[in-house]
Amino acid sequence: MLPLSLLNAAQNKPMLVELKNGETFNGHLVNCDNFMNITLREVYQTNAEGDKFWKLKECYIRGSTIKYLRVPDTLLDVVKEEQNRAREASRNARGGGAGSRGGTSTHATHISFLTLLVFYRARDAAARWARCSTRWSYSGKRSWSRHIIVDHC
Amino acid sequence: MDSLIPFTTSGSLVDCVDRKMLVVLRDGRKLQGVLRSYDQFANLVLEDTVERIYHQDVFAEMKRGLYLIRGENVVLLGEIDLDQEDDVPLRQVDWETLEPYHLKEIADKKQRDELKASILFEKRGFCKEGGEGDGY
Repeated sequence: MLPLSLLNAAQNKPMLVELKNGETFNGHLVNCDNFMNITLREVYQTNAEGDKFWKLKECYIRGSTIKYLRVPDTLLDVVKEEQNRAREASRNARGGGAGSRGGTSTHATHISFLTLLVFYRARDAAARWARCSTRWSYSGKRSWSRHIIVDHC
Repeated sequence: MDSLIPFTTSGSLVDCVDRKMLVVLRDGRKLQGVLRSYDQFANLVLEDTVERIYHQDVFAEMKRGLYLIRGENVVLLGEIDLDQEDDVPLRQVDWETLEPYHLKEIADKKQRDELKASILFEKRGFCKEGGEGDGY
């Protein structure tokens, strides 16, 4: 399971992306490519100091600006299970194969990853949230101007 | 290491898969986790990651989970000896206790570096440091 295949498998999953400049983006992965360029939807952007927040409908991040991505812990299990299923299916299709091998997920419940991450940075910043809420009302146009900034940093 | 495997990223890291590793990033962050996967760019997948901060002879940990690190940002990757890691003479304290010291250390270092850069520029005829200035 190569890192970029894992990213591919994380489509529609919540994740936190930190850029090299320290800004973070919390959102659901829409798409990605082999350069690690990604698009996220329903994004919470946080500045490097962690004291300013923006909400973006959608954003594009150039792969080369990324420092790391934090993805749900369960993702590795999900991917393993999918691979097993695929292997099973191809074996059955070929008509051969004896015993069945199946993996069961050991992870039962998880606090919503996105909620956790958003509130980690924001845990002692309730007041600041109130301030930034005014910025949330920006139109989609504003979101796209953000996207351009991200693309060039 | 098996001499049949050439010295490439992929060749050097095969032995590290499924081992507990220490990763140091360019921004100075120190992460410990189990290396599950990597590629030719040294992009890394770290499972059950904890971030550690240090100050003098104490350290603190914070659970972080599953990481996908872009290889460019990696400074160092080292295996942690599970038999010896508990013998390290460091004391663990709460993250909340240690974080202020850690942040102050970072701020102090930044100030020192800025001072140094300004002296080098104004008195010694050096150029202004470009880029990120993190020494890497």
